Amino acid sequence: MAVAVLERQWVARPGLLGWLTTTDHKRIGLLYFWTTLVLFGAGGVEALTMRTQLVQPNEHLVGPETYDQLFTLHGITMIFFFIIPMSTGAFGNYLIPLMIGARDMAFPRMNALSFWVFLGSGIFLYASLAAGSAPDAGWFDYVPLASRAFSPGRNIDFYALALILNGLSSTLAAANFIVTILKLRAPGMSLNRMPLFCFAFLAASFGLLFALPALTADCIFLFLDRRVGTHFFDVAHGGSALLWQNLFWIFGHPEVYILIVPAFGIATSIIPAFTQRRVVAFPLVAIAELLVVFIGFGVWAHHMFATGLPTTTLIFFAAASALVIIPSTIQVFAWCLTMVSGAAQFKTPLLFIVGFILFFVIGGLTGIMFVAIPFDQQTTDTYFVIAHFHYIIFGAAVFPIFGGMYYWFPKLTGRMYFELPGQISFWIIFVGTNVLFFPMHIVGLDGMPRRVYTYPANLGWGTYNLVETIGGYITLAGILMLFGNLVVSYFSGERASHDPWHGPTLEWTTASPPPVYNFAVIPAVRSAYPNWDAPRSTKPLTLDVGHQQPVTSVDDAVLGEIAVMPHESPWPILLALGLTVVCALLVVEKYAVAGIALGLCGVVLAAWHWQAVE
Amino acid sequence: MNKPVAWWGMMMLVAAELTLFGALIGTYFYLRFSVSPWPPDGIAKPSLLVPIVLAAVLVASVVPLRLGTRLGVAVALVMQAGYFAFAVHEFADGLRSFTPQSDAYGSIYYVLLGADHAHVAVGLLFDLWLLVRYRSLAARVITIYWIAVVVATLAVTGTILSAAA
Repeated sequence: MAVAVLERQWVARPGLLGWLTTTDHKRIGLLYFWTTLVLFGAGGVEALTMRTQLVQPNEHLVGPETYDQLFTLHGITMIFFFIIPMSTGAFGNYLIPLMIGARDMAFPRMNALSFWVFLGSGIFLYASLAAGSAPDAGWFDYVPLASRAFSPGRNIDFYALALILNGLSSTLAAANFIVTILKLRAPGMSLNRMPLFCFAFLAASFGLLFALPALTADCIFLFLDRRVGTHFFDVAHGGSALLWQNLFWIFGHPEVYILIVPAFGIATSIIPAFTQRRVVAFPLVAIAELLVVFIGFGVWAHHMFATGLPTTTLIFFAAASALVIIPSTIQVFAWCLTMVSGAAQFKTPLLFIVGFILFFVIGGLTGIMFVAIPFDQQTTDTYFVIAHFHYIIFGAAVFPIFGGMYYWFPKLTGRMYFELPGQISFWIIFVGTNVLFFPMHIVGLDGMPRRVYTYPANLGWGTYNLVETIGGYITLAGILMLFGNLVVSYFSGERASHDPWHGPTLEWTTASPPPVYNFAVIPAVRSAYPNWDAPRSTKPLTLDVGHQQPVTSVDDAVLGEIAVMPHESPWPILLALGLTVVCALLVVEKYAVAGIALGLCGVVLAAWHWQAVE
Repeated sequence: MNKPVAWWGMMMLVAAELTLFGALIGTYFYLRFSVSPWPPDGIAKPSLLVPIVLAAVLVASVVPLRLGTRLGVAVALVMQAGYFAFAVHEFADGLRSFTPQSDAYGSIYYVLLGADHAHVAVGLLFDLWLLVRYRSLAARVITIYWIAVVVATLAVTGTILSAAA
């Protein structure tokens, strides 16, 4: 009875228009998923083109100009357009409301806006490639190389505007996650009963919120320097080239932890499900997740050890960087002890988490080596650094994303994936990743610099590079097998129950795939593992009048008011379109028209709020 | 702990915006400590009186806003619009003696002030919106926005005036 009422009230508008105007966090999560997957493909093609170019000395597949654009786009794409939007946008959007027992995000229309702005920034970035002027000064885009004097084209203007737009999207998403996690938890889910997944995303969101403004300021300065003629980075007129680096890494290092912390969150979801036990040292792990991001704000200059900073500064930042070992190790021990002391079942998702822990430890160990300042100065800009951060960013940040795809596949589709091909895909990707990235340590110590489009034959780097390229294609094969498995499973996998893993958190208490309203009855939570608690009859909270959602207190999740959520709005996509047009007009130097377009964005924003819910 | 969702949403916006001002002010001092003299030769030191009086007007405008009535918003709007008109006039006046293209001092000076004025302009639009469609929750969160803009203005004014010392 109540379910029928809910179905009627939450039913989505049919067809394409329903997707364009949707505010359902699950649909927005799926939109994020498909978009980031396409961009992941683009970043992968860029990577394999580079690997093919480097397969042997003096190869001529691409020239130096194209190669510069390839490695720049690869870096920007994988960081800003794949990992961040895949983990926060896709996983976070789909799962966080389900895990906290909510029916949507705190600001559903703003959620739609952050997706459409993200899509706009992605199209804008790749339009630069179509225009033949993709960013080409590396993902960290150092001045003076990126200044107008040395990059007269539009390449760097695309970079600055795409990152401002992308940053806007991430800021909106981060604000939305923070408020959702703090205010929309089901009654009874006090902070100490909140899933560790949510702690991780809370930490990542705070990181984004406070880190992105530095990048935005930096990109605004860069754009003004290049187009208006200001002198922020112009040493001849009192500016500073190091100012770019400082602001970039004040953002950039928190960013690195923002990439990895959601992976921690996925790991701490998968491990208890496949060991059927509670996570060891739950409060310590929660604190460690937050601490990693917090410490991440005080270590940025370790990216600048080779720039001639004073020794005292270097030592401070080296010591601060070493601090990150503590919360990282707490988590590694907690994960391992949970697996050792539980009945670990090494199904595909858990295999990816084991791979993640291995990569995280190996990449972490090379990370510790950089704390030794002379070693860092020796290896700066060599392939050793590439090896280190690909172990972390691909091995440690992306493996849990793959594991998570398998783990939540039954929840999203209502079908099981095929287990044996899943495990084989893990082993192929695992072996491929090591073959791809491990030789980079050696060739890096041997002096091969990063970002060279080719190298001479007499340096003895050829064999290593050949092996790396083979590893790249093995990894590709594994990833194709992974997605092939998921696609075939989607059509012909075995029907999954609503809870195939006997998972601990609330998303496993509702149907697979979840109904639009997520929960017919708002859950009442008594522990951090609500799906494992013995059922207890409480007065059910159905809330079936309009899009209702309970709002609870931040600390103890005591039921406060019942809010009515907005739904289906055409304005977010229009506003995102307007903002993307503004950026496009700025890049082609139509400043007056851009001003008018910005004014129109204001009108759209006004129209959006004209009929706000009462 | 029991604040409404809208209150938290505005706190998030304000946190991000104030962090942006933190980055701008950090840039100001980063450039300042590598350039001597500051302001560079040929550029007059900023005058103290007008910016301090202007900032005081903006601080005072929070009082009528906090009344939480449509009339309070109208009074605040008059004060804030007056502030804005004077501030823009000062900004334009300054451009006649030195510009963002003069040197790094000019660049950060005008970007810092410009960012602050832009936030005031957005706040004025919020006020107008409230006068048309007044709702108490909206008035409450817009007051938070204005308090943040006042804090930013005080910090920006203090930063700019530090060159007078």
